[in-house]
Amino acid sequence: MSITTGNILEVRGLTARYGEVTALRSADLDLKEGELIAVLGPNGAGKSTLMRSIVGLTSASGDVRFRGELLPRNAAAVAARGIALVPEGRGIFGPMSVEENLQLGAYMINGRGEDYERRLSRVLTLFPRLKERLSQAAGSMSGGEQQMLAVGRALMADPKLLLLDEPSLGLAPKVTAEILETLAELNRSGLSVLLVEQKAPLALKIASRAYVVVNGRISTEIDTKEITSHDQLARYYFQ
Amino acid sequence: MLDLSFLGQTILNGLSVGCIYGLIGIGFCVIYNASGIVNFAQGAFVMLGGMITYVLVSLNVPLILAAAITIICVALVGVIIERIVVRPLWDRKATMFVMILATLAAQIVIERATLIVVGDQPKSLPVFTDLPPLRLFGIAIGYQTLWIFGTSIVLIIALGLFFQKTLVGRAMRACAINREAAALQGIQVSHMLALSFALSAGLGAIAGILVTPTQFTAFNVGTPFAISGFIAAIVGGFGRPFGAFLGGLTLGLAQALAVYSLGSGLKNMAALSVLLLFLFLRPSGILGSAK
Repeated sequence: MSITTGNILEVRGLTARYGEVTALRSADLDLKEGELIAVLGPNGAGKSTLMRSIVGLTSASGDVRFRGELLPRNAAAVAARGIALVPEGRGIFGPMSVEENLQLGAYMINGRGEDYERRLSRVLTLFPRLKERLSQAAGSMSGGEQQMLAVGRALMADPKLLLLDEPSLGLAPKVTAEILETLAELNRSGLSVLLVEQKAPLALKIASRAYVVVNGRISTEIDTKEITSHDQLARYYFQ
Repeated sequence: MLDLSFLGQTILNGLSVGCIYGLIGIGFCVIYNASGIVNFAQGAFVMLGGMITYVLVSLNVPLILAAAITIICVALVGVIIERIVVRPLWDRKATMFVMILATLAAQIVIERATLIVVGDQPKSLPVFTDLPPLRLFGIAIGYQTLWIFGTSIVLIIALGLFFQKTLVGRAMRACAINREAAALQGIQVSHMLALSFALSAGLGAIAGILVTPTQFTAFNVGTPFAISGFIAAIVGGFGRPFGAFLGGLTLGLAQALAVYSLGSGLKNMAALSVLLLFLFLRPSGILGSAK
């Protein structure tokens, strides 16, 4: 884990509702610069709502600060600050080619120029399989390849903070391990990562800390080294 | 006895008006893809295209310049409708029915305003090239028809290149596929919505400018054009711009053949029969709907 300085992300009292249902209740969360932390919890606990609320996809009350500054409630404006979210279900543009998807990842630098070429080269080095499929329709690739594309597209924005929502969903264990190893590698190079994952053992292998979300509340913050002694988490994940 | 040259003439005329329907249908698709909205003010753009050009030409502005000014003005009208009618409702996540009603209301407001400003008399424009028609196998091919075909083909190619090759075009396609994922890339979806209205309004204006010399324009021509364009978009596969163009050609051809074989009174019946036929047999349209 890289050496950390102040907080890159601070979430305070984040509350989100879908009609009458409160999906997220007064969530507080800190992420230090260069840290990789996990958000764990059962299906429907509010993890995805937390991620969506942070980036402004879901309207919510409360404060989200990025490097001390309040984030706007607009996903495009949040992306422009240097935060990239790989959403649940990947959100790739299926009918478009892999290259077009990657270019749109670099939309904020107009998808061209030296900087674009440098980012593209980096992503294709991280995910060599994408290089062979540049002209292929993104939707025709396997689930694992689509997830690699989703992560690669997020990296094309050269984010300072990468959020991932359930990257293992629907993937074979081997592919999941490959993607998580890439995340760990990115984190070692200094990228801050917030990872939402239902498969806790996978996330805990690479995260330094974890928050557990239950019924829309962040119920616990844990040090991943102490995880085996944590009864509540064990009840959810290790039974 | 079958008059082949008359039949050929009929088909040519049908394809010509079909191009116009197609362009209007593309306008429906562009907005729908960017926003999920069916914009029934599309017909107003067609009417304004012919009407503003007529006003400018009657003020002795050269036709080409008048057409260019008109396209820009109507594109701006499109953006204004988006800003003051559509955006507030869109932000409040209004239902499709509310959107349709709101855009229909906008169409009526524009119609009535036009009636007040220019009156209820039909207006026309001179043909772009004032030469006798070309003759081919007994078929008279008017230069205005060639303008319609030529402009439509150029626009289809230009739109294809725009959506396939430019970053903004790709961003608009991305919005059509997944708006949230597009926003996550830093694409301001609301800007794309405004752009889609400008583009659709511009297309509608071009359609209106092209068709006015062959017919006429009046404050109330928008609604029939909007209906035909909407049918073209459905027949082509809603959300598929090129499909809408094919749908327009199909519709124009069906109308022309109905006029040829059954009489002009059955033109609209033919159009609606084509729509019903597709809704029953191939509801996703010629190319399959985009969503």
